[in-house]
Amino acid sequence: MRYRRGFESDGAAPYIFLAPLLALLAAFMIYPVVMNIITSFTEWKGYGPWKWIGLANYRTMIADPQFWTSILNTGLMVLYIPLSTVITLLIAGFLREGIRGWKVYRAALYIPNLLGYVLMGVIFSIYLRDDGPLNMAIKWITGSAVHFLITPVLAINAVGFLLVVFLHLGFGLIYFLAAMNGIDKEIYEAALIDGASFWRTFISVTIPSIRFAVEFWVVFNFIEVFARMFSFIHTLTQGGPGYSTFTLEYGIFIQGFSKFKVGYSSAWSVVLFLFCALISVAQIRLMQRRDE
Amino acid sequence: MKKPSPFGPAARLAVQVFMVLIVVASLLPLYNVISASLKPLDEYTTNPILLPLAPTLDNYRYAAFSGHLLRFSLNSLLYVPLGVVLYVVVCVMAGYAFGKMRFAARRPLFLLVLFMSIFPQLLLAMQVSKLISLLHLMNTGLGVILSWVAYFAPFGTYIMTTYFTDMPYDLVEAARIDGASQVRILASIMAPLALPMVATISIIGFQSMWGELPFSMLILQNEALRTVTLGIAVLRGEYGLRVPILSAALVIAMAVPLAIFLLFQRRITLGVTAGAIKG
Repeated sequence: MRYRRGFESDGAAPYIFLAPLLALLAAFMIYPVVMNIITSFTEWKGYGPWKWIGLANYRTMIADPQFWTSILNTGLMVLYIPLSTVITLLIAGFLREGIRGWKVYRAALYIPNLLGYVLMGVIFSIYLRDDGPLNMAIKWITGSAVHFLITPVLAINAVGFLLVVFLHLGFGLIYFLAAMNGIDKEIYEAALIDGASFWRTFISVTIPSIRFAVEFWVVFNFIEVFARMFSFIHTLTQGGPGYSTFTLEYGIFIQGFSKFKVGYSSAWSVVLFLFCALISVAQIRLMQRRDE
Repeated sequence: MKKPSPFGPAARLAVQVFMVLIVVASLLPLYNVISASLKPLDEYTTNPILLPLAPTLDNYRYAAFSGHLLRFSLNSLLYVPLGVVLYVVVCVMAGYAFGKMRFAARRPLFLLVLFMSIFPQLLLAMQVSKLISLLHLMNTGLGVILSWVAYFAPFGTYIMTTYFTDMPYDLVEAARIDGASQVRILASIMAPLALPMVATISIIGFQSMWGELPFSMLILQNEALRTVTLGIAVLRGEYGLRVPILSAALVIAMAVPLAIFLLFQRRITLGVTAGAIKG
């Protein structure tokens, strides 16, 4: 921070200003996380007494195929991040050239973001089902339906593509276009006079100039994949078929809220917490580098 | 005047075609919901794709009243604005403290807030629901509002902090020399100057709370109290519910987010960039 004079404390006033926030965070975030860590060593149904069982939950978890499916699924979602980044940057690059109607395109592609994960999850659950409109069209062309939500490998890839690539597109376009808007226009004019192609300028001017925005975008996507997928999965596939579209978040939900194995679900929570801590460190590092 | 462009006429056309295809593909699921919502129940089975042949509003009547979507929308329109007001107060106070005040724990506390802004809700959900029932706030609007404000405030605080940090320090200094208290400086000088960003975080808070699912699902178990988002998620799981009725419910649920978009499109654009960028 840049203060003109030496460090001169404001006394108790800042803590009073922060009191509402800190009280809420202590009750709704710190306390739950600490309790999760404690209950992960217990057998607990969510009510009644606890039974201390040491590392047994963790041992069960390591042997649980649902846990590994959830981890692999999360990894698969991560693989969609490069695709999402390339597609979004490319479309933003096109729109930056001021093609006619770019504002309309930008607004139209933002609509899914606006409606949110729950509505989009339900909308796609109708759209992709076996007797849904997309399959009616596919059947009419090829003669047989594609079981998007019934074949496990298709279901998890549908979740990955829709959430990571499609649902973030509108947000990403606004984000990247704003960043690209900050690039000096004269560079583009000079490139044009030199006869540089769109691709050449895109790769050697546009991308390097918005490097930090791209890195933030990648971190944002990691946060989404690890920490913001529950609502979409719950409304699109409900974790199914079987447990083939589980992620860590969805597993926590099923173990804790539908099987009432709260102690066990806490062990999953601790793993998720560790992943989030890593992402957060990456994010804070990135901010520090940018501010330098 | 035409902007100079690296695209020739052919490339320009190709880009236009490509964009139109993407936009059409991404709007088809929405078209389907709207068109299905207007079809009589048995027409949807024979004609799931094309426009309705005999449009009807029966599905809307059913979804709004028997499906309680009207009730749920009113619930959301009560809880969400109250939540946003509380959220703005909390974030502005904390953002000002982090952005313009000096205290020893400033950096560690700010890093803690940043860290918490990425927590998944499911990490917290079980203990939050225990806490809410311990406080006797199960099945109350207040319970869900508190959980929302707590969960979304770290991000709002982060945005307000960056905004206050960038404001000139002279303003605070001058007011302090005049003997104004910190509360007065914030309430009568800094907060009014920060109004554009307050508007931005209000929209962000509104959208986040409007679409929130896990906490409302756990706290609002009484059907009469459901939010519109929760109502839709529950309807989706209802066995045997016909698609045209679910579609009408979806269209009803889209009304408010779309209205917000049309009214505040510019503000939403700013909101997207307020969060992470400055890079």
